[in-house]
Amino acid sequence: MVESTPENPNYNMSIVKAFAVCAVVYLVVGALVGDLIAWQLSFPVLNFNEYLSFGRLRPLHTNAVIFAFGGCTLMATAFYIVQRTCGVPLWSNKMAWFTFIGWNLVIVSAVISFPMGWTSGKEYAELEWPIDILIAVVWLSYMFNFIMTIVNRKVSHIYVANWFFLGMMIMITYLHVVNSLAIPVTLTHSYSIYSGVHDAMIQWWWGHNAVGFFLTAGFLGIMYYFIPKQADMPIYSYRLSVLHFWALMFGYVWLGAHHLQYTALPDWAGSLGAAVSIAMIIPSWGGAVNGLMTLSGAWHKLRDDYVLRFMVVSLAFYAMSTFEGPVMSLKTVNALSHYTDWTIGHVHSGALGWVVMVSVGAIYHLIPRLWKTEMFSTSLVNTHFWIHTIGTVIYICAMWVSGLMQGLMWRATDEYGNLVYTFAESVAAMHPYYVLRSVGGVLVLIGALIMLYNVIMTIRGAEQPKSDESKTAAAQA
Amino acid sequence: MNSLTEFFSTDWDAMTRADWTGMVIVLILSVLMIGLYSWVFKPSNRDHFEQHRDFVNDNDEEMKRETGHGQTK
Repeated sequence: MVESTPENPNYNMSIVKAFAVCAVVYLVVGALVGDLIAWQLSFPVLNFNEYLSFGRLRPLHTNAVIFAFGGCTLMATAFYIVQRTCGVPLWSNKMAWFTFIGWNLVIVSAVISFPMGWTSGKEYAELEWPIDILIAVVWLSYMFNFIMTIVNRKVSHIYVANWFFLGMMIMITYLHVVNSLAIPVTLTHSYSIYSGVHDAMIQWWWGHNAVGFFLTAGFLGIMYYFIPKQADMPIYSYRLSVLHFWALMFGYVWLGAHHLQYTALPDWAGSLGAAVSIAMIIPSWGGAVNGLMTLSGAWHKLRDDYVLRFMVVSLAFYAMSTFEGPVMSLKTVNALSHYTDWTIGHVHSGALGWVVMVSVGAIYHLIPRLWKTEMFSTSLVNTHFWIHTIGTVIYICAMWVSGLMQGLMWRATDEYGNLVYTFAESVAAMHPYYVLRSVGGVLVLIGALIMLYNVIMTIRGAEQPKSDESKTAAAQA
Repeated sequence: MNSLTEFFSTDWDAMTRADWTGMVIVLILSVLMIGLYSWVFKPSNRDHFEQHRDFVNDNDEEMKRETGHGQTK
């Protein structure tokens, strides 16, 4: 293995650095746009014009956090992990930089096209067809480079983190291609080749698998590398990780139909989606327990290792949201929760709690190692941890209460069977919770800004000439 | 006919090609999942999997293991 030896000079860490810095910047952008639209929902007067209206900025927020922040994190960590666990440099540095430039081009295209209103209208896949083609090409370059690096590996075993990354890459390739099939009309407009309920089913087959593979499988790859690494402990059970991987790959693709309960979709399809959702609690919790139990006998490390705190709390949120999701997919619960803010709360417990926290933990682990220095301020990392955790809890609690109120108000009937509340009354009742959600968002944004500042100062510090003493300390870190 | 047999009764003649395709896929995946659980939890396979527990940290042992098993290229 290469980990204990001095840094292999052939490793391409420049690409990892570039993606890691982009991820931090895009976290700030995604949180900023997200919080702006949260305030717009609270105070509609903040919809200044059509370009900056909620309807146009909402897809910009989701794409910024999922594909810009999440994508750059996945690319940074996948390229880092595959080199270190395979003991070889990336198969092609040029292709890695093509991936970097291409992915950022996609993000710039999103920043331009969404405010202009150019959208295919498919959730989490709003970008128009020319950009979809670019995404497919760039994604294939990322996957091909990753696969070829594994093919060239110096060790026989392929570590489980690489399996998770590989699973994500393969599944996202065909999910993206199938979901994005469209008939172009102009450069900025197209029609999906699917119609009616088929379109809805394909949409949510993609939509849930974007969560299942892009936002779960890939980040589990991060978890299986960085938690044992940061804790300096072996994985609690490697068998459980293998089971976790295959059960996730077999099971997740069936879940999409649970987004379409009580619609034109055949009833059995929704039932199948709910049944498999419940079955997925087993591997998901198996994985969460596997990560948490890795700290067995070393819980004291959480006392002063702030990076590890991010990772462990992310697993708690992962366990919570992978229990909540299946429960919400059950028809009885779905009748109350669907179309309400409960769904938004659930999504953000997964996004802010699981994805962002495990990503931030991984990036805090990477930055000092990539620049061969120490973090500029450990106390700022701690501040980020608490401010992000509090912001996330405020956000999801507000949405849970708001969603339950919405669901109960919409279904309330009087003794004659008439609706007790108008829709407008339910909207008015949501206002305090929307403000509270926006406050939670502000805290998350402040946390992201603190991280950006800390990362910039760390990198700037690393570029300054060092004394021999500090060089020795950094080398030992 | 009790309610349980009624619940599981199936009109096989009404099965479409899509129904059969879906059912076959579900059965294959179910068998594979059972095989996976058996393979992973078979006591004699324990060491085969668990030798990789410390893959990212235990560098010296990893190198010895790879060399000893003739696995390193």
